[in-house]
Amino acid sequence: MAQISFFSVALKNLKRKTFRTGVLVFAIALLVSLLIFAISFTVSVASSLKKSSDRLGADLVVIPVGARGFAEEFLLESKSASFYMPISVIEKVKKIEGIKDLTYQTYLSSISGLCCDVPPTRIIAFDPKTDFIIKPWLLKALGRPLEAGEAIAGAVTSENLGLGLLDVEATIFENRFKIVGVLEKTGTGLDKALFMTEENLKNIIASGKSPLKNGEISIIFTKLEKGYDPDYVGKVLEGEIPEVDVMARSDMGAKFINTLADINKIFLLTTVMASVLTTFLVWAIFSAIANERSKEIGIMRALGAKESHIVHLYIIEVTVLGLLGSTIGVLAGTYLAVQLAGSFSLLKNISAGLTATQQTTIALIGLLVGMTICITGAMMPINRIKKMEPLLVIKEE
Amino acid sequence: MSFLQIENLTKKYKVEHESFVGVDNVSLTINRGDFLSIVGHSGSGKTTLVSIIGGILKPTSGRVLLEGTDICTLNDKKLSEYRVNRIGFMFQFASLLPILTARENVLLPSVFTPGKNVTDERTAVDLLEMLGIGEKIDSYPSQLSGGQQRRVAIARALLNKPDIILADEPTGDLDEDTEAEIMSLFEKINKKHGVTIILITHNLEVAGKAQKQFRMSKGQFVHI
Repeated sequence: MAQISFFSVALKNLKRKTFRTGVLVFAIALLVSLLIFAISFTVSVASSLKKSSDRLGADLVVIPVGARGFAEEFLLESKSASFYMPISVIEKVKKIEGIKDLTYQTYLSSISGLCCDVPPTRIIAFDPKTDFIIKPWLLKALGRPLEAGEAIAGAVTSENLGLGLLDVEATIFENRFKIVGVLEKTGTGLDKALFMTEENLKNIIASGKSPLKNGEISIIFTKLEKGYDPDYVGKVLEGEIPEVDVMARSDMGAKFINTLADINKIFLLTTVMASVLTTFLVWAIFSAIANERSKEIGIMRALGAKESHIVHLYIIEVTVLGLLGSTIGVLAGTYLAVQLAGSFSLLKNISAGLTATQQTTIALIGLLVGMTICITGAMMPINRIKKMEPLLVIKEE
Repeated sequence: MSFLQIENLTKKYKVEHESFVGVDNVSLTINRGDFLSIVGHSGSGKTTLVSIIGGILKPTSGRVLLEGTDICTLNDKKLSEYRVNRIGFMFQFASLLPILTARENVLLPSVFTPGKNVTDERTAVDLLEMLGIGEKIDSYPSQLSGGQQRRVAIARALLNKPDIILADEPTGDLDEDTEAEIMSLFEKINKKHGVTIILITHNLEVAGKAQKQFRMSKGQFVHI
């Protein structure tokens, strides 16, 4: 025989009008799923940008003047782009005060059929002597430097090229390359490239099939001495070397961040409006409940219920509603965020993703907001319920 | 010391700047185990008086002393304890919660006095059986007749073994046979369990079943 308790009475109350309960749960779920989707989207983009720029490990990025957009597209969005500057720039950069280390890379895009027997792929040539960008991943994957005639694939490139087996050979710009391994997934643009050393470029240039000329590089990554301000050094660099643009680590992805700021405003407005509407809906439904059940509340008061008992009973009701709606909302919002991620070019292009901790935090925020809105909306009617004069409501017809 | 002493009790209502007197300077002494009825027209003040005794309405002035304690000065917590432990209410209508079964309705007061649920479960079933509706314990109010609903309400009023049962028109809309059954149950409860019963009714025949009869008019007792 099930014992009667505040919880069982509250549950029976909720079951009394299942359609109304369903509408309320649906409204809360809708709001929470919107919130979860909005936060997931924003955090995903922002943290991916930060992760990408942090993982490059450079304080300043030097690129040919006017190539800032191409460089961001190449590094963050994994888009193919060709931009070059003379290798002599390296010496000029070295002379700038505050520069501690630097390395350079050269970017190429393979073209299927014309030069290569692999699908179109972004090729990154690096200088193994000075490299600090690829090195940590390369040592982890291969345990040794890359040799002449060898290439290593980024995690996503490996899938794109269909490299199920290692030690396969491919023709790139009419040069045979042995693909000796796959780099661990980094969650950055590096995942979508094929890496080789600078030495191999000489042969590629000699083939005459690439747009690259001798003595050209695409990008210089620099590390600064301790205590130097990246923005200041960047300005000095641009002043001293007119043929380059400089991006500080914090500036990378500015295009995305601006777009994201606009999207955030839309999300914020929509979420605030939905929250107000849901709070109003909870208030309206609990006001109706207060009117409908006033006689029952009077009876309970006459049978010995304290004001706090009445509040307790309705708080359980609203908590169950809030938890149910919020949980559905969290699940739906997370599902939407995952499913729709591929539909947004902003997310598709930047290897966006959330860590388990981020997902848990966002879910908890969703639950908290859903619960807060429920309790806020119901509080005023509940206060009215508890203050009802038992005799008056019992006698009310 | 009297069991229940009502002293100079007055209750005034204010409706849109106009004052009404519900109970007008009433005094009464009730002994433990008394079975008394109060008759009177609508608006004569009988329900107001019983509600003040039951602790669900505060008087404007006067005192209600139960074994020397003035219940009118108790705070919400103490007043709730008084209602749940010492008073059994029955209202003009069956007053059962439609979402609860007969057994759950009887057990409702135990929700407000946690800690003895198991005893209460047994007591609730015993009470329903004693009142002749043992086979209906899992029925909902909508599945019960008017008389059966009243019996459930009586069982609920008895659950916490109250000292006083306050019954406001408990047979109001019942047929004669059911009314007689309910009244004989009250007599039995009063005699067997020594519970003090204060019964409000319009019906003089029903009122005549009580040991003591009172009449109220314009908030005062008349022809006691």
